[in-house]
Amino acid sequence: MTAGTHLAIMERLERELGDPADPATPLSFSALLAVDEREEFPVTACRRLDELDLHRTYVPAELGGDLTGAEDLLQVIRVLSRRDLTVTIAHCKTYLGAVSVWLAGAPAQAKELARRVLDGAVVSFALTERRHGSDLLAGELTAAPSDGGWSRLDGEKWLINNATRADLLCVLSRTDPSGGPRGFSLVLVDKAGLPERAYRCLPKGVLHGVRGADISGIAFDGALVPADAVVGQPGAGLEVALKSFQITRTLCAGMSLGCVDRALRIATSFALGHELYDRRLVDLPHAARTLAEAYADTLVVEALALLATRSIQALPGELSVASAVVKYLVPTRTDRTIASLAQVLGARALLTGVTGVGGEGFQKVDRDHRIVGIFDGNTLVNLNSLVNQLPQLYRSYWAGTVDADGLAAAATLTTALPRIDGDRLALLSRIGSSVVQGLPALTEAIGAAAAGGDVPAGLAAQAGRLRDAADALHAELTGFRPAARDVPPEDFQLARRYATCFAAAACLHLWWHNRDAVGGDLWADALWVRAALARLLPALARSEDGGEDGELLDALLPHLLAQHRDRMLFSLLPCRLGENRTEVPA
Amino acid sequence: MAEKAEIAAWLTERIAYFLEKQPSDIDPDVELVELGLDSVYALTLCGDIEEHFGLAVEPTLPWDYPTVHALAGHLAETAAGADAAPRV
Repeated sequence: MTAGTHLAIMERLERELGDPADPATPLSFSALLAVDEREEFPVTACRRLDELDLHRTYVPAELGGDLTGAEDLLQVIRVLSRRDLTVTIAHCKTYLGAVSVWLAGAPAQAKELARRVLDGAVVSFALTERRHGSDLLAGELTAAPSDGGWSRLDGEKWLINNATRADLLCVLSRTDPSGGPRGFSLVLVDKAGLPERAYRCLPKGVLHGVRGADISGIAFDGALVPADAVVGQPGAGLEVALKSFQITRTLCAGMSLGCVDRALRIATSFALGHELYDRRLVDLPHAARTLAEAYADTLVVEALALLATRSIQALPGELSVASAVVKYLVPTRTDRTIASLAQVLGARALLTGVTGVGGEGFQKVDRDHRIVGIFDGNTLVNLNSLVNQLPQLYRSYWAGTVDADGLAAAATLTTALPRIDGDRLALLSRIGSSVVQGLPALTEAIGAAAAGGDVPAGLAAQAGRLRDAADALHAELTGFRPAARDVPPEDFQLARRYATCFAAAACLHLWWHNRDAVGGDLWADALWVRAALARLLPALARSEDGGEDGELLDALLPHLLAQHRDRMLFSLLPCRLGENRTEVPA
Repeated sequence: MAEKAEIAAWLTERIAYFLEKQPSDIDPDVELVELGLDSVYALTLCGDIEEHFGLAVEPTLPWDYPTVHALAGHLAETAAGADAAPRV
């Protein structure tokens, strides 16, 4: 694979799903908008995805499925979320439900679950409870030993995606009455194996966003499951769930990427077609700058998402850092991007239904996207996780620890990666983050290349500022002790700065390792990465020259408009969308 | 490598520091979570252990050895094993 064909799965799926502007296709914008307004589950869309064998992507290749690496899922999630986040949540949820078994299940259990998923079974992940929310260790649903090697489940799980529709659920259950981090186990429950009276599904809530999603609950009453339904070691439930989250939190970036593509496309179409004072909106400086900033932020999020997703396989021991950075920064930043685009649309951002005046669908993507920052560990949970890791992060930064091979593999898009391996994940990175700790060496390499004229001097200057900011941040972190309870706001602020530093470093690494392999104007003169750093550096360091930042964003705008015109994904990499109906040369 | 009592004293001091308490407030036979150290926070102990003893340990160690005494006993054994192992 060349870097230029890196999004091949997206391109194929887009082609198969067809033009989203064509109301006759099941995954058209108008059909999905109508389903949402009726608050219905997207049945037709999900059936179409089954016909396309998309569920095969949720099963690892070594178990007979199509999943060769985490990037496959990132691409699928991104395609679907561009059309409708509810569809993503409804369909891709099976991976979330099954991933614990892929990571930690016994071989026979994994094989059997693979068979079921390949047959079309829906799997759900049931962790949270009505009274406890994110506090997993307070869970009251119990799995207690019963006669003949069976376990008995009692209790309920609530606000569970697909609880009602699922065929199987992976349920976090209290297996030690006194609880504690070793007091819970994941139990794979097959509804088909239970008599009707052993469980009942709890009604779905009325939702502000992703209205059609099956966010419901399930209550068990003496449900008997065989002993081998436990996933991994008894007592390993919390550990396995947290490792699964490292993967799924990283993949949530695909949802933000899909949603922001949709929002930016609506806003750009409107800005090109709408005239004010005899000028097109896109020619007015304020609107043009807002669009360019949103595009630059999209590229930042994409670079971070690509590198972090590849880290699942290339730097698995460090995923506790990368996943927390992604799950905090990507949804937060994308919420902000979508809000800024609403300014371009004005009142049209609020229009519901299909009115034909432009801006349709924006309010939906705006509503829908807000859930990304909430589920699968909310923004504060992830920031808190980073706060706890800060001592290890500053120690590793000053020690200069870098897994150079792993980092190069994560950043080089053409490098083949080992399979996803649960045994290589760790709840906490022992060596901090090679992405951030690799910054000093990268800055020096860029400086040397700039001296030789191979790299723009402006980029070397930005990289130098980033490195100085990273040094300053880690100097401030040195000696940091996280609060054992009641984390003060200033600690969250440090974690936010670390995350921004990580994102900027990720952009630089990704650019450096692919600059020769990817063609296109975005990569010439390091344009995209300079614009990306222009967006991130102000949060880390006082700007010395704000003027150049504006020029970089101005230079980026034509590329946004070209990708819009050519019906290409808003991306660092070329990817034709379903809107583009011209014949693909064989 | 340190003896168990020495390790326990060091752990007591670290945990007191994290909890902003006096070492004398730390009962070595009470579970860390009951002392106020939540389970996710306890994972971060592995970094301190590694830095202080030069011993790579699983972050989940405090989950499996949830008191100062249990942790110290395990670390003393691991360290003895590491000392006995041939140097590569």
